[in-house]
Amino acid sequence: MVASIVPQFVPAFYQSTYSTALYGGLIVAFIGLIGIAMEKRDIQVLILTDIVGLAMLIVVAAVGTDLSEALILPGLVVELAEIMAISEILISREMRKKDVDTSFSPMPLNIDMEIMTTAPNFIALLLIGYGVFLSGFTGGAVAGGGIVIYVLSRKVRGLPIVVLDGVGAISGISWCLWIIGFLLFFLMPQYWLLSLFLAALGLLLKVASKIGLIGILMREEYGRK
Amino acid sequence: MFNLALWVYVGLALSIFGSIAAVWGPGVKDPIIRTINTEVASVGVSLILLTYNSTLALLTLIATTIIVTLILFRAIARLEEIGADV
Repeated sequence: MVASIVPQFVPAFYQSTYSTALYGGLIVAFIGLIGIAMEKRDIQVLILTDIVGLAMLIVVAAVGTDLSEALILPGLVVELAEIMAISEILISREMRKKDVDTSFSPMPLNIDMEIMTTAPNFIALLLIGYGVFLSGFTGGAVAGGGIVIYVLSRKVRGLPIVVLDGVGAISGISWCLWIIGFLLFFLMPQYWLLSLFLAALGLLLKVASKIGLIGILMREEYGRK
Repeated sequence: MFNLALWVYVGLALSIFGSIAAVWGPGVKDPIIRTINTEVASVGVSLILLTYNSTLALLTLIATTIIVTLILFRAIARLEEIGADV
């Protein structure tokens, strides 16, 4: 019964370990959820959400083909965005409750080093070049990291609002490229190379500009205090 | 000789052990210790991904684990600075 559902190309190893990994993932999820149910304080619950996210990864990874890889990547990014957003909400709520302001980045060190002003040009160029070469999701993350390094380490502040809007527009247009690429895959399969590159480069631009925007927003927040 | 399934079991054991450590482990009242304990579970998940040949997923998991840890540390430090109950 089960064997007829599983496609022929799934290796025997994945099939033999599937139920073990699935039950292991469910046990981890159960432990994490018990922890969340027992805990009262918000930040502890947020930390335990990480455990449940890892259980989700195990359950998805148990599928074991390219499908699992394709599902894990967005899962990880969504988890990251969720933890980022909820931690910000927690902090701002506590700030409003106690009516005090805190530093944006609690750093014991003063990171005012000479290398932060001279090296970033080169490192950012290297990272962006490598990211464009990689293309796709990973390339977008690498290129975005380059943009973040460049933006965070520059002393020059106050990027014009036009530039911010422009980065947002690039992100939107690349989203369209990605969707067009996906549509072409189904409508005209003979142009698969074109649609592959549309999707890969669209995703590259999308992720890179998103991560770059995070860096720009963080820098703007730095200057405001 | 080189049993591949062994690594799935080791990864699962590590992730179950790590999640128990994060929920009931010693000193988890301190959120920093709890955050570090979740790393054990994430190493277990990394082993599972390694066994299943998911290179991209493994690399992204390592990157996001580092970023999540940084975000949580920053949130904990700021909450303690405010004087909230952490």
